[in-house]
Amino acid sequence: MRTDAGSRLPQSSLIDPKTLMSIRNLELRAKVVVEGFWSGIHRSPYHGFSAEFTEYRQYTPDDDPRYLDWRVFARSDRFFIKKFEDETNLRCYLLADQSRSMSYGSAGYSKAEYAGTLAATLAYFLYLQGDAVGLLTFDNEVREYLPARHRTGHLRHLMLALEKPSAGNATELGPPLKRIVEIVRKRSLIAMISDFLSPLDRLDRNLSALAASGHDVVVIQVLDPAELTFDFKSPAMFEDVESGKVLFIDPATARKEYLRKLTAHQEELRSTCRRLGVSWLEVSCDKPLELVLFDFLRERMQRGKSVQRFSRVLHHTTGQPMA
Amino acid sequence: MSFLAPLFFLGLLTAGLPVVFHLIRRTTRERTPFSSLMFLAPTPPRLTQRSRLEHLLLLFLRCLAIALLGFGFARPFMKRAMAPPPNANAHRVLVLVDTSASMRRAGVWAEARHQVDSILQGASLLDQFALYTFDRQTKSLVGFNEWNAMPAGERAALASRKLAEQAPGWAGTQLGSALIQAAEVLAEPIGKSQASSGRIEVITDLQEGSHLEQLQGYEWPKGIEVAVHTVRGRNANNASLQLVSDEVDSDANKANDTRVRISNSPGSKREQFKVGWRNSDAGFVGQPVDVYVPAGQSRVVGLPIAPGIAADRIALEGDDEDFDNVVFAKPPEPIQLSVLYIGNDDPGNPRQGLYFLKRAFQETRRQTVEVVAAHPGEGITQAQLQGATICFVGSPVSNETAAALHDQVTAGKTVLAIPSGTGMESTLGKLLGTGSLAYQPIRPSNYAMLGELDFRHPLFAPFADPRYSDFTKIHFWAYSRLDPSGIPNARVLARFDSGDPALIEVPTGSGRVLILTSGWQPDSSQLALSSKFVPLLYSLLETSGAPSPLPAQYRIGDVVPLGPLTGSSSVTRTVRLPGGGQQNLDSAQTNFLETAVPGIYTVSAGGPAKTFVVNLDPSESRTSPIAVEELERLGVPMAQTASKVAADENRKVRFQNVELENRQKMWRWFIIGTILVLIIESWFGGRAARRVSPVASPAPG
Repeated sequence: MRTDAGSRLPQSSLIDPKTLMSIRNLELRAKVVVEGFWSGIHRSPYHGFSAEFTEYRQYTPDDDPRYLDWRVFARSDRFFIKKFEDETNLRCYLLADQSRSMSYGSAGYSKAEYAGTLAATLAYFLYLQGDAVGLLTFDNEVREYLPARHRTGHLRHLMLALEKPSAGNATELGPPLKRIVEIVRKRSLIAMISDFLSPLDRLDRNLSALAASGHDVVVIQVLDPAELTFDFKSPAMFEDVESGKVLFIDPATARKEYLRKLTAHQEELRSTCRRLGVSWLEVSCDKPLELVLFDFLRERMQRGKSVQRFSRVLHHTTGQPMA
Repeated sequence: MSFLAPLFFLGLLTAGLPVVFHLIRRTTRERTPFSSLMFLAPTPPRLTQRSRLEHLLLLFLRCLAIALLGFGFARPFMKRAMAPPPNANAHRVLVLVDTSASMRRAGVWAEARHQVDSILQGASLLDQFALYTFDRQTKSLVGFNEWNAMPAGERAALASRKLAEQAPGWAGTQLGSALIQAAEVLAEPIGKSQASSGRIEVITDLQEGSHLEQLQGYEWPKGIEVAVHTVRGRNANNASLQLVSDEVDSDANKANDTRVRISNSPGSKREQFKVGWRNSDAGFVGQPVDVYVPAGQSRVVGLPIAPGIAADRIALEGDDEDFDNVVFAKPPEPIQLSVLYIGNDDPGNPRQGLYFLKRAFQETRRQTVEVVAAHPGEGITQAQLQGATICFVGSPVSNETAAALHDQVTAGKTVLAIPSGTGMESTLGKLLGTGSLAYQPIRPSNYAMLGELDFRHPLFAPFADPRYSDFTKIHFWAYSRLDPSGIPNARVLARFDSGDPALIEVPTGSGRVLILTSGWQPDSSQLALSSKFVPLLYSLLETSGAPSPLPAQYRIGDVVPLGPLTGSSSVTRTVRLPGGGQQNLDSAQTNFLETAVPGIYTVSAGGPAKTFVVNLDPSESRTSPIAVEELERLGVPMAQTASKVAADENRKVRFQNVELENRQKMWRWFIIGTILVLIIESWFGGRAARRVSPVASPAPG
């Protein structure tokens, strides 16, 4: 889904990604974006998400004794767990692609850097809201996994994991999706950030498994502007950064076919997402991250409405509310 | 400018390669990383769509480098004016035409004449030609001087006409000696200057029986070469007939059949022949014999002479070439010789010399030697003395006999005196025409041996070979010591190991007296029992003027001595030739030379006529051609063919060119030029590469 969120935000407050990437610290980058975002829109779109009392639950073995309500125990001599204080509203898992294809970049920074900054921005934003954020990095296999937590220092670990360089020789979208299905049992928001420049034949099955598990899935496709336009001038030996394969390409003749195939690929990805009810965002690396964050949040809000409508329809049909 | 290896100019075609490379869009070596090539397909290298060449200077430099390299490899050199060829002298050509019997084959002579004509037609005005024919002997038809004397325009025609008067004879081929004679004729200097070159043009059938052996070891004069023009007969079939032995028996005994050999040539297709006796040119006398002779083989058959039928030749039928199909055969007549022995010996006493003498001369079919024994006490007739070829005197003879013997010796006879015992002093003195000749009987304590022999003397010449020259095994028990110094003109032919003479020759008048100081009987020596005795006697007989046995047949061209046939040489003799003609020979001529035709020759000298047979040389029948290379093998300097001369000339020019090129070495300048051009090209190329941005980076979106 392409958005033109820039119209809602004052252009002067946006930070050029190239300038942003010159900041070495990833956490700082995320902080700058999120603060710029706040200063740009001046108000939070998420009111009333903060912690409120929800219920008491009787203590059962294996519960963390830290959450016992000692006052209730004093009163009633029974153990109750006060749930609302420490648990968050949202669990978000960020799936970040760190394959070599992500190391390509024509604007002075790579897609991986841009995607990492985007993931860090989302994580910081959600952390600020008190949501639990987890991370799974992958290339052709799962590299790093951090469970979704909202603790002091967790954000730091997350940033360190995101700063690790790209390594894998190929992009395999299947293993991380399969892994996340296995690990994450509770309903969560899962944001998958990748260039999706790999065959999509098995993506359909894995995404459908994820969606069927009740997770809210967002697919964010990060592409370099050169990948979108293939605006090379001279013939050259083009080297695949993942496989090392080298081809002589004359852009003048190859561009048309390239764009045709790329468009077909994008269309296939978008139709897959639409079919599975998965949100899809296409992000060009030269796009300011505030706008991306804005698009993400707007997508989330629209998604929330549609889910509510969808759940009401379902409730009327089956007589049972959704979990 | 010339080039040693102009083929390298093909390399100039590669000068087009830089043009093609300049038209091809350069494949960059720079690598542009890209995220994924999954949407990309390789682009093939292609010629630029515009037909405009870029970097013209570089293109020119590259083409120039290739061109210079091509020039360098083509080994250029500047041709200088070659030394003018030496003035060609007039050629001296000696045409040698084979007129042997084998040239009588069908078509051969006509072909030979045609070849001679074509050679003569090719003569220029400056050339000097001579025309010779050869068979057994070489004959000049037109000499060099004669050629020069002829009008220039008619020389060839006149020479050809002279050859037309000739025809192949019956003689054998002596190609070796003919070539040597021709070479010597050519080698003779003419006028002041030596002839620069000479060529012998041989027209022959070059048959196997050409007798080339004389060429072995012959040192050819310089500047002479031989060109052989081989003529071939129309027929490869030729069978020949030869007498196997020289003996033809006169009696019609079955065991004594006349044996003939029928040889068939290797390439012959005929194998079935008939052989039989004839008395004329047509028709066999009696029953001919069928003979099967495969090609290249020979068979020997015995031909009986039917009793009572006169036949003088054997003929072969079934052969295509008939020049060698008849042999004339006639039994030779034995020669009667007489040896007179004057002595007291008993012919039956094996202890005396006469006994051995009678047995030493065996009767053969060619020669009959009669030993006549005469007692010195009896009267010896003059006829006995005159009829004897040699007289042996073993005992003292009367003064009259001694005088008669001396007369015979003076007239030419040979007398051998053996002074054994005593009383021979006076006889020896009478024989030699001197006074009494003293001698002293010696009986060595052990034995005496012949220690010194004069092998140069005709008497001992047959023993000169080391295999036969050992006389030391003959022991002498007794001999007479003679002092040869007392005899005028005496020559000691053999001495004993003691130094005493064993055999003394004393020439007296036309004849000679031989004094053998020891007898051959067992009491005196082992000479009669040794293997040297009989040969020594025959040698004595031959050196005493005895005619040698007549051969059964002569070959064409052989010299026939008339002495054995007619005896006395004081009579005019007539020889009837086979063709019917006759030739008169005066008394001075002792030999008959005109044996030009095969057949039976009859000699008459008043008395009964004698005959002799002349046949073809058997080697003339070996008509299979030999390779010309055989002459080369024998060292004959063969003339080169025209193609070989041209090839030699080409090779010479090429060598000269290589030499010139080696001296000039212009290729080095071209290579240096190439290197310079390449350096300039590299500099320009590098500058052009720096100007062009390596690979365009993708435009930011």
